[in-house]
Amino acid sequence: MIKCNALTRRYDDITAISDLNLTIEDREVFGLLGPNGAGKTTTMRMLACLIAPTSGDATIGGHSILDLRGQQEIRRITGLLPEAPGLYDTLSAHANLDFYGKLYGMPQALRERSIKEVLEKFDLWDRRDDAVGTFSKGMRQKVAIARAILHDPTYLFLDEPTAGLDPKASKTVRDYIVSLREEGKTIVINTHNLAEAERICDRVALINGRTIQVGPPGNLARGLFARTLTVTLAEEDPSLAEGLESFPYIASIETSGTRLRLTVKDPEQNNPSLVKWLVEKGARVQFVEEEEYSLEDVYLRLMEEGGRR
Amino acid sequence: MISDNAKAVMRKDLSEFRRQKLVIGSIIAMPLILGILIPLSMFAPIAMEAPEGPTWDVENLFTQGRLDPSWDVPETASTLESVETADVALQNTRVVNATIERAVLTECDVRDSTLKNVTIDSCLLENVNLYNCVVTNSRGAGLDGETIMSVDSELVFEHERESELEKLIPMFLNTTLILFIILPVTLPTIIASYSIVGEKNNKSLEPILASPTTDGELLLGKVLSAFVPSMASTLGAVAVGGAIINIFLSQLGEPLLPNLTWVLGILLLAPLACIMSILACVIVSSRVTDVRAAQQVGGFIVMPVIVLMFGVLAGVILLTPLAMLAISGAFAAANGGLYYFAKAIFNREDILVRWA
Ligand SMILES: Nc1ncnc2c1ncn2[C@@H]1O[C@H](COP(=O)(O)OP(=O)(O)OP(=O)(O)O)[C@@H](O)[C@H]1O
Ligand SMILES: [Mg+2]
Repeated sequence: MIKCNALTRRYDDITAISDLNLTIEDREVFGLLGPNGAGKTTTMRMLACLIAPTSGDATIGGHSILDLRGQQEIRRITGLLPEAPGLYDTLSAHANLDFYGKLYGMPQALRERSIKEVLEKFDLWDRRDDAVGTFSKGMRQKVAIARAILHDPTYLFLDEPTAGLDPKASKTVRDYIVSLREEGKTIVINTHNLAEAERICDRVALINGRTIQVGPPGNLARGLFARTLTVTLAEEDPSLAEGLESFPYIASIETSGTRLRLTVKDPEQNNPSLVKWLVEKGARVQFVEEEEYSLEDVYLRLMEEGGRR
Repeated sequence: MISDNAKAVMRKDLSEFRRQKLVIGSIIAMPLILGILIPLSMFAPIAMEAPEGPTWDVENLFTQGRLDPSWDVPETASTLESVETADVALQNTRVVNATIERAVLTECDVRDSTLKNVTIDSCLLENVNLYNCVVTNSRGAGLDGETIMSVDSELVFEHERESELEKLIPMFLNTTLILFIILPVTLPTIIASYSIVGEKNNKSLEPILASPTTDGELLLGKVLSAFVPSMASTLGAVAVGGAIINIFLSQLGEPLLPNLTWVLGILLLAPLACIMSILACVIVSSRVTDVRAAQQVGGFIVMPVIVLMFGVLAGVILLTPLAMLAISGAFAAANGGLYYFAKAIFNREDILVRWA
């Protein structure tokens, strides 16, 4: 379990993230979602014990990031994919991974086994002896991810794992992340790719210098948007809109041609009588749909609403 | 004693260097230049000046009859024995046990005598002291004296005379030693700048720092990866250069290297100077973003050693073993201070937040 407790970090006079409170359960894929400069990387660096919080605390697997011995233990049980892959271009993929294997104290035999395993997983085993400098961006990102998981960490911090990857490579990485969760790992992902967060994250935190909202990606829209109904009629009838204005549970009405956009409170309760009324008024109803809000809508709305500090 | 992580960092750096032309080039080329060119340029002129060949034994040459026919034994018509004389011109005279001043001697056979301000032509000299003499077309052995100008003569002296250049040998040895110590100071500015600034620009320090590697281990690894090749290169240069110098020294009949000054210089001062240079580079590297800039600023680190060299050349500093210990002590103290700074700079937080 990862717990952030009023976690705050300032750089001189810039507050990168303030008062972050989060609980990330074991075996969860958790997304930190926010625009550029939202404090995602800063948060991840604090959790990986790379930089110290200005105030607040966090615990990972029960070890505090403020405690020196805890830090050392956290570094052992976590893997980090930093924003920049930071590989050694002149060294081979194998040599790059071998170096990190040594830093994590893995014995030679285990190193060899793990390197083979991760490189095979990413289809890079045949290229293991080629200098990483000759790799494509996507291949490099894969090597960097392989490096993060080489020592079989329990907690994984991935800072924009699919940034700059083509759709196929992104999918490989996403599938891999999902398979890691199945292996029992707890994964935190920084991203501003909403579709990605929606697809692979169990929960996301929208942050922008502070926490805006936390929850499963599908649920974030609820409570944020009044629910909207679109009714499509066979022919235009302006009198209907006038008549609907007197309904107490209808907050707003928009008409465009044969379509009516209605914001309805408690639609499960009120929609049947609404439709009944329309039919009684002689309206030829073709479609009744609830408007779906994507994570993107939620995100844009939240950021618009002055999510920034 | 050295942790596995520090060793891993060092090994990784070393295998990176192997693929870096600038780094590998300087590690190999610098000792070759210093190790071969410097000894040759310093000692070859001395060796060429120095007299060589076996001692010329007058008696033997007589008996073996190997004297040049044109250099016949002067026929002596008269003998001058056990006298002191001056302002004379002698020809075909046998001079024994005499002291002669301001004279001209032609085709004389001179033995066991002292000649002052004498012009000597086509004479045979044995066991003669010469002061302010001009000697032409003559041969002599067992000679001694001062200020002798000889033309077309073969003169063998009792005491080997030191040529002016030979008197410079100790100074040359000292200068060469200092030049060799420039190597472990210069190489780290190339290597450490590359290994630290390069890693910083590459943003590859972050994954290292995310591992259980401590800041101290990372610093130690970086120091070692500059220290090991620099010192190996230095020792290589010294081995090659020392061997070349020894060839000359043995020709000159001088004591061979290593002497105590050299041992202290190479095994004590050189490593200390090397570490000083590395630590200074670590500090500089944290403040610049360009490898070249780091190398240039790093170039200033060579200054103390250059100052030392000029001191030696000017004769202000005599590199006695004691002096070597004193200089080493000063370098060790400087290293203490630099280490303190380097250690303060080399921490996760600063590397990630401030270095960039
Ligand atoms: N080393 C630093 N020194 C000063 N300010 C910094 C530093 N690193 C980050 N910041 C500031 O902290 C804020 C958050 O930065 P951070 O890198 O955490 O954002 P992010 O959410 O990861 O953004 P991105 O999506 O662009 O990666 C920004 O305003 C940034 O300018
Ligand atoms: Mg970021």
